[in-house]
Amino acid sequence: MLRAAGRSGSGVIRLRKRDGEDANQIARRSLSLFELRTVLSGRTTLLLGLAGATGFFVIWEIGHYLTPEESQRFLPAPQEVLGALITLLVEKDYIADILKSCFRIFASFFAACLIAVPLGIAMGCFMRLRALLNPTISAFRYLPAASFIPLLLVWFGPTDTQKLALLVLGVIFFLVALILDNTKAVQPELIEAALTMGAGRRQVVTEVVVPAVAPAVVDSMRNMIAVGWTYLVIAEIVAASDGIGAVMMRAGRFLKVDIIMAGILTIGFLGVATDILFRLAARYAFPWNRERGD
Amino acid sequence: MPVDQAPARTAITASNVTRQYVGGTFTAVDDISMELRENEIVCFIGPSGCGKTTMLRMIAGLEYPSMGDLTIFGKPITGPGPDRGMIFQAYTSFPWLTARKNIEYGMKIMGLSRDERSRRSDEFLKLVHLDGFGDSYPASLSGGMKQRVAIARTLAQNPGVLLMDEPFGALDAQVRWEMQEMMIEIIERENTTVVTVTHDIQEAIYLSDRIIFFTRSPGRIKADIPVSFKEGRRIPRKEEMLALPGYVDLERQLFAMMREEIQQK
Ligand SMILES: Nc1ncnc2c1ncn2[C@@H]1O[C@H](COP(=O)(O)OP(=O)(O)OP(=O)(O)O)[C@@H](O)[C@H]1O
Ligand SMILES: [Mg+2]
Repeated sequence: MLRAAGRSGSGVIRLRKRDGEDANQIARRSLSLFELRTVLSGRTTLLLGLAGATGFFVIWEIGHYLTPEESQRFLPAPQEVLGALITLLVEKDYIADILKSCFRIFASFFAACLIAVPLGIAMGCFMRLRALLNPTISAFRYLPAASFIPLLLVWFGPTDTQKLALLVLGVIFFLVALILDNTKAVQPELIEAALTMGAGRRQVVTEVVVPAVAPAVVDSMRNMIAVGWTYLVIAEIVAASDGIGAVMMRAGRFLKVDIIMAGILTIGFLGVATDILFRLAARYAFPWNRERGD
Repeated sequence: MPVDQAPARTAITASNVTRQYVGGTFTAVDDISMELRENEIVCFIGPSGCGKTTMLRMIAGLEYPSMGDLTIFGKPITGPGPDRGMIFQAYTSFPWLTARKNIEYGMKIMGLSRDERSRRSDEFLKLVHLDGFGDSYPASLSGGMKQRVAIARTLAQNPGVLLMDEPFGALDAQVRWEMQEMMIEIIERENTTVVTVTHDIQEAIYLSDRIIFFTRSPGRIKADIPVSFKEGRRIPRKEEMLALPGYVDLERQLFAMMREEIQQK
């Protein structure tokens, strides 16, 4: 009871201080994690994110020291993993593996988008096309992409093509479904407004639907490329001699847990970097899509 | 003024227009016939769900009658077109275009030259009191301002007929009032024929020359009421209208009709 009273008390004070202060200052003053929809400054967001990551490494470190001496090599400390990572980079030409993996991800994802984006938008616009394709595409979403590995190995052998094909299969059906949903969610009044202005069918699609759906499409792409990284490891664990996944697989055979974890760390880092890249690109490409006061 | 002038042309006719939904089991608009004259401001009013929006969308060409015919200046309505500008209740200014580019969009569809577009967009930004906001994106504009962008975009196409579906429904009372006076100013200047839908009885009286009252679903015409106390004038200030003899009587009559419709089972 008392605590609740204190909370609401401080709420009142914050409201009163609002005059002449910007929202960020108010946000910085309040330290509660569970405040609804506060406006955060870029700095606060960054600091909180770093704090979360630091917390993870601290817990990892503690976990390492709590592990009995004889099995500590199965949970190496963060600094040991970092050491392994540096050794890989300096002595084992790890950069080449990283570049190979990045090539596989980006090439396959680009190919998947090339098909999925126009197809998803078209299915969102044209009911007949949607009725024709949607049941089949939906069915493919339920097949685990990994189950195609034997087939792809028979067709393409243990080649890059086989890996790219697996990666494409892993994301393309979900991507189509997401972009179809994005397109369906375009406010119908925008389309009707264009029609009443005399816009033709082609104009409605290219000048209204496409710009309206673009930010959501980039968001869907950002989310799906994360799934792409998951399939990358699967693709490189089976019948591959290069790439991050292959390095991890080889390390596993010799129980080199620090190298496996270095691989996991690399993928995590690359994933976050891709995510940030997509966000920055979206912010740059759609300056109109800011929330008010953003 | 339309009322005293030589007989105006017929802008829109509806003959026995019926619109059914759900495979013909539900009738939204039932056998409506009407004739709207050029330069007339007509308001559809009636209880919620009575088919006002449906009727307006059929005139816009966004929906089709199940039975009956609609014409505009003698030609059958077969689909939407820039001769009938439409303002929606939801904000339809394109968020990816600045206010100015929004206003220019309709003119671009019509094939106006760049110079012409830029000249007219200046003019219409001023007309809807948005000069200075030409380069703002809708996300940074208020609801009323977004709606004004949409209105300017539609008017810049110089449509013969302007259709509005509760254009100020989402706005607060003060902004509504400002927008109503702005609309009167614009309509007077542009000589547009207007069909507007509203729930607001005072708004209907202030804007229109003629009020068409719909019955509760299925929508039929309950009454076709000329706003004769204004004597065909478009009154720039709302309070002037409120002071005119005859205003209160009409308002009372409309409220009584509305109650009659709402209470009918
Ligand atoms: N696409 C549709 N499918 C089925 N029924 C519909 C559809 N569109 C409208 N209706 C029905 O038709 C009737 C008239 O709808 P309409 O939107 O024209 O009413 P309205 O007079 O504009 O109401 P309001 O004042 O609340 O906006 C309503 O009962 C509505 O449920
Ligand atoms: Mg309606």
